[in-house]
Amino acid sequence: MSQFPTYLLDHAAREDSHTLKVYREHGGYTALEKALKLMTPEAVIDEVKASGLRGRGGAGFPTGLKWSFMPDPEKDKRPRYVAINADESEPGTCKDRVLMREDPHGLVEGTLIAAYAMRCEAAYIYVRGEYRLPYDRVQAAIDEARAAGLVGQNILGSDFSCELHMHKGAGAYICGEETGLMESLEGKRGHPRPKPPFPAGFGLWGCPTTVNNVETVFNAPFILNRGSSWFRSMGTEKSPGNFLCGISGHVEKPGVYELPLGLPAQKILDEVAGGIWKGRKLKAWIPGGSSTGFLKPEHTSTPMDHDSLKGIGSMFGTGAMILLDETASVTRSARILMDFYEHESCGQCSQCREGTQWLSQIFLRIEQGQGRTEDIQLLEDLANGMAPGKTICALSDAAAIPTHSVIRNFKDELEEYVREGGHPEYRGTQVPQEAGA
Amino acid sequence: MSDTVTIKVNGREVEADPTKPLIAACHDSGEEVPHYCYHPGLSPVGSCRICQVSVKVGEMPARVVVACRTPITPGMEVDTEAPKAHDARKECLEFLLKNHPLDCPICDKAGECTLQDYSFDEGQGEGRSVEPRRKLDKRKDLGDVIVLDQERCILCSRCVRFMEEVPGTPQLCVSQRGSHSVIETWQDRPLAGNYQGNLADVCPVGALTLKEFRFQARVWNLHKVASTCPGCSRGCSTTVEVLRKGEVKRVRPRENAAVNGWWMCDEGRFGFDAVNREGRLAGALLRSTSRGWDAVDTADALETARDMLAVHGEVLLVGSPFLTVEEGKVLVGLGKTLGTRPVFVSPEPNEWADDLLHTGDPSPNRKGLEDLGFDALPAEEILARISEGSEAVVLVGERIADSLGRDAVAGLGEHLRVILMDTHPVDSRAIDVAIGVPNYVERAGTWVNIDGHAGRIAPARQAPAGTWNLERSLDHLHTLLHTEPEGATP
Repeated sequence: MSQFPTYLLDHAAREDSHTLKVYREHGGYTALEKALKLMTPEAVIDEVKASGLRGRGGAGFPTGLKWSFMPDPEKDKRPRYVAINADESEPGTCKDRVLMREDPHGLVEGTLIAAYAMRCEAAYIYVRGEYRLPYDRVQAAIDEARAAGLVGQNILGSDFSCELHMHKGAGAYICGEETGLMESLEGKRGHPRPKPPFPAGFGLWGCPTTVNNVETVFNAPFILNRGSSWFRSMGTEKSPGNFLCGISGHVEKPGVYELPLGLPAQKILDEVAGGIWKGRKLKAWIPGGSSTGFLKPEHTSTPMDHDSLKGIGSMFGTGAMILLDETASVTRSARILMDFYEHESCGQCSQCREGTQWLSQIFLRIEQGQGRTEDIQLLEDLANGMAPGKTICALSDAAAIPTHSVIRNFKDELEEYVREGGHPEYRGTQVPQEAGA
Repeated sequence: MSDTVTIKVNGREVEADPTKPLIAACHDSGEEVPHYCYHPGLSPVGSCRICQVSVKVGEMPARVVVACRTPITPGMEVDTEAPKAHDARKECLEFLLKNHPLDCPICDKAGECTLQDYSFDEGQGEGRSVEPRRKLDKRKDLGDVIVLDQERCILCSRCVRFMEEVPGTPQLCVSQRGSHSVIETWQDRPLAGNYQGNLADVCPVGALTLKEFRFQARVWNLHKVASTCPGCSRGCSTTVEVLRKGEVKRVRPRENAAVNGWWMCDEGRFGFDAVNREGRLAGALLRSTSRGWDAVDTADALETARDMLAVHGEVLLVGSPFLTVEEGKVLVGLGKTLGTRPVFVSPEPNEWADDLLHTGDPSPNRKGLEDLGFDALPAEEILARISEGSEAVVLVGERIADSLGRDAVAGLGEHLRVILMDTHPVDSRAIDVAIGVPNYVERAGTWVNIDGHAGRIAPARQAPAGTWNLERSLDHLHTLLHTEPEGATP
């Protein structure tokens, strides 16, 4: 990968990278110091805006713009918060884990810069409960940083004070949705809130709040230290910078790689992931985490960036590629994903609660050889009833997008399963209906 | 009300309250917008997604949004009948019906179920699901008042929010997640409190039903009449529901922002046993020295009453706390002729007083009667007065004997001359004349509540044959007293 300039994972490769000592030896917290001593909060936001950094949590919203949505602190005297979404639960996505485990101070510094830019008095880092080591590493980093005067009152002697709190999630995907995350932080069920009101106006405990992904704020110290034009020298015009690409599935070298945005997926597959394993062919791939849908092999010429993937009816998402070889069943994969969404739907909205279950039941029937011709149309109608924007949050969309993608890109497999009696494993066998399903 | 803004609802300009969600403006302007999770008395959560309407703001293209979570902005144009809105509601209904048992034929809610209504209006005729429906608890006991059918539940969470927001006693929750979600109480504890009955009203489907009303009547056979609760001096507006003009089967709160909002307490809701009690006093009875009681016409009984009152100088007029203002007026007039000021039985405060509705004063027309000049006296004091001085006593009004204590009335001294005008007779040798009166579901009138709001009662069924209205009886008696009795001897 040396052909691309890197920065996100450079520090992670060092010995004892998670300690304050090693972090500071390599320029750690200089960006925070620069911000506090040389820049106004507005200047920080302007620099991040100029960098073109887009959120790495899935939606790809411009970060600087998001930060600027916070109300004017002169007019709005409520407490202000930043929450870091480290509830990384999207199937296929495992990038924030690496950052928190190997470079926790990078997250702490990025969080503090975000808090300074938005004049927040406290930041909450909401970590997925299963991430034990990353949690411990970030907690240890906060403790070290506090002891060094980097967290808490009058950070680095400035008049900026900010507390950092950790919170451990309890294993719910929905708590990674920003308003579900806030509800959960408040000690309630992780039920996403209807918007409006938006978090910047009515967030944690009804106060102005911005929720950012780990990787998003992790970029901030680099942007402040090296400048927005440096940042823009990587990636594409509309999606600048590098991103962490989690590659999983049937490839020779799965892993988390740092890559510039805009590389064609085929190039990543061949040059980074070592190609499809066992010399097989690619059958289907998911570009950015399970919610972004199944694409065909010919789509691998698409550059991995927000706008290009949107152009083919998908999303950049979290940049987590899942690749399936020619032996895989897209129908079964879709059913597994629908099981996941059914399990993780919070159950508030009718379409999502019932729809995720229904989709998973239909995919299961088709997989097991009880599909009907009209089921394909039914899948499409249900997905149309669930999205876009028909529910409180995007979980319903996250189930509808893969469903649409299967019908659009792999309809022949669905039709074959309906015609031939399901997945080859089931053909010619009598599958009992799941008891009491 | 705060300053209103002008918006367009289905092409008509209407004034809307911007502090309320868009759906309220639609409803206020008379447009039907289907809704389940939204209830005007509860916080909107926007979860059922059925209230979809088309909204156009400025130059932006029209969008389909949920009306219960859309803020009102000046100039917005709402189309509740847009084809896209109908399509969205139809889609939503298909999901809501996916696991619904469709057991309408045996469901108490059938006929007043909005899932049924909107499915009929907007839904498709046939379901497309071949999957087995969810099997859940169909008879979950939630305490003395409510039974929960989890299969019928559409998880609108109105019940959860009602308990949290109205009586402020959170006891229900959605437990589990997604398609496994169910309504439960913490560790299956029975519900407590005086406001549980409202859960059956807020439930838009047949999931939460009243044990009292379970399998009692098909709702379309109920004759529903606007009335007022007699349970306390709050006088909640109610609807009295009578089966085939006979038995009262159910009493429900009727929306009245000035008095009770949308709610009523269980004491009031289920306190209608007395109106269904058998053994009514129909027409009138006269004491006969030899044979106990003689049934007579009310007119004849009133003549006897006149004779008794005409010869006894000192008369005590005792009204029931359930007298209406109209009845009270006539009784005051009668008192003037007899030279006495009527009193009414002021029941002792009970233990049900709370900060929400119940005043703890079981006297629905206290203010009305006091304003008319009645003295409010406790039962013991009235009974003492009767035994101390009075020779002639007129006990007037619905449940007057209950109010004084039936045993006390039965035990009144034989020397007394007592005229009882009540819904039920009392077997007492002191009573010479007993005249039947209608109860509060059989007559019209007004009660004035603790805050001075007038609550109307209205007949939901007829009083037993031969029973005169109390006003008519008292008026008639009054007229008789001004007339020389035939063959009267000093």
